[in-house]
Amino acid sequence: MIKLAPDARVGIIGIPPVDIIGALNAAGAHIFDLDEPLVKADMETTTPYLPRVYCAILRTALLNALHLRLDMIFIDTGPGKCDCALHVSTVLRDILAIPVIRCRNEDKKPFGHPICTARMGLLEKFQRITAGVQSVAAYRPEKFPPCVPEAGFWGVPPRDFSLLSLFPDTTHVFGWTRCMENKTPADCELEAGFNGEVPTVFFAQSFCAKTALAKFLATKHPRGLYLDADVTCGSSTRAKIQAFLELSGVTNAAG
Amino acid sequence: MLLADFGTSYCKFLDLADPDGKPYLIATKELPRELRVGLATGHNARRFSDLYVNELTALARGGEELIDSADYVLLDCGSRDIKYVSYSRGKLVDMGWNSECGASMGFTIELLEKYYNLDYGELAVPDRTFSITCGVLGMSHIFDAVTSGISEAEAVARFVKGIAINAYRFCGSPEILYLSGGLCANPLFVGSLPCTVIPLGRFVLIKGLEKTAGQGLRIAL
Repeated sequence: MIKLAPDARVGIIGIPPVDIIGALNAAGAHIFDLDEPLVKADMETTTPYLPRVYCAILRTALLNALHLRLDMIFIDTGPGKCDCALHVSTVLRDILAIPVIRCRNEDKKPFGHPICTARMGLLEKFQRITAGVQSVAAYRPEKFPPCVPEAGFWGVPPRDFSLLSLFPDTTHVFGWTRCMENKTPADCELEAGFNGEVPTVFFAQSFCAKTALAKFLATKHPRGLYLDADVTCGSSTRAKIQAFLELSGVTNAAG
Repeated sequence: MLLADFGTSYCKFLDLADPDGKPYLIATKELPRELRVGLATGHNARRFSDLYVNELTALARGGEELIDSADYVLLDCGSRDIKYVSYSRGKLVDMGWNSECGASMGFTIELLEKYYNLDYGELAVPDRTFSITCGVLGMSHIFDAVTSGISEAEAVARFVKGIAINAYRFCGSPEILYLSGGLCANPLFVGSLPCTVIPLGRFVLIKGLEKTAGQGLRIAL
């Protein structure tokens, strides 16, 4: 049982199990998704604790934890996240005065992934999917009918969402982001799925273990492009996406 | 319509209004500030044109025009970056653009030739090489080698071979490599690539712009 003060401020890293999110919701906690950029502080302030060459998502999580006033943090250190998160939890426990609670999300109950296949700007899709982590409410798939895909995006939510604006509204989402919407982040089978009929960008954060899977799947896909990016998306990364979509005949790609 | 590929060291132009027109070069530092062109690529393109095609797209379109094969790897080595496109059965299957770790390779090669007063046409491809992933960082190998008694020419040759091998691996180590960019005219660099090299010269991206303009292909703004 989680004991929380009224208006408790709780940070999450990765996706804690539905039971925990439900309990936080029931207690009226304010949830902060620390994987997303929430503060404007310089990333360099994390370098005393983490190497510069490290997953930008977890560096962001630590940056948020250093600068936000929080009452506790839940961090998924199971197969739905990564070993890096386990080690970051050790660091957080050492430098923060609040409880840093490790959990393992091995939830298997599928919530569905209607937003992943809906017609909607890719950036908005990711905003909705990542926001959905903070709720356990059932989806209403009838609000998001599937569209015919013109492109695919496989991978995790990028640290820099700006690269998502390059894709057409008809981009279907695969990989861990689909697992995220489905609330089964450790579902390796779902994570490895893709649509071989549409050109697909296989994205992973630089220095993330998922780069191996992204690169592997990109070679299996008939029209797949492997892509990794660190903290921000540079001009060459943007150009790669843009050229890949253009040269693959995706006519409605955003400029 | 004037087409332009705005490179870091050199800019390439083609005037479509001139029926006998041939592509030509202008050093980037000599560009008129008020210059405007009809369609452009290159990292400086937006300064000189309202219509922009990104470099990878221009490279790919140029390759489609110049290469009579359905399966190929086309690598462009510029002053500042390296990029490639790979085609299989006439379709794009892979691409890459390295402007960070592969930075400034072409620029550094040209700089070293002038600094050490060398002629790349006279340098033999060395047996040994340096392990190089960045033009700027790689220069320390040259200084270390010269300090250890190796001649400046040999040290620079090893550096150039290291850059060539890095570029070759970057584009997937093909058996046959179509090469674009100013380094096509550098025999030491071309000879250092461990594969069959088919140099296409400096104007591949211009050819891609020509195709884009001629066929009304999508233009990225």
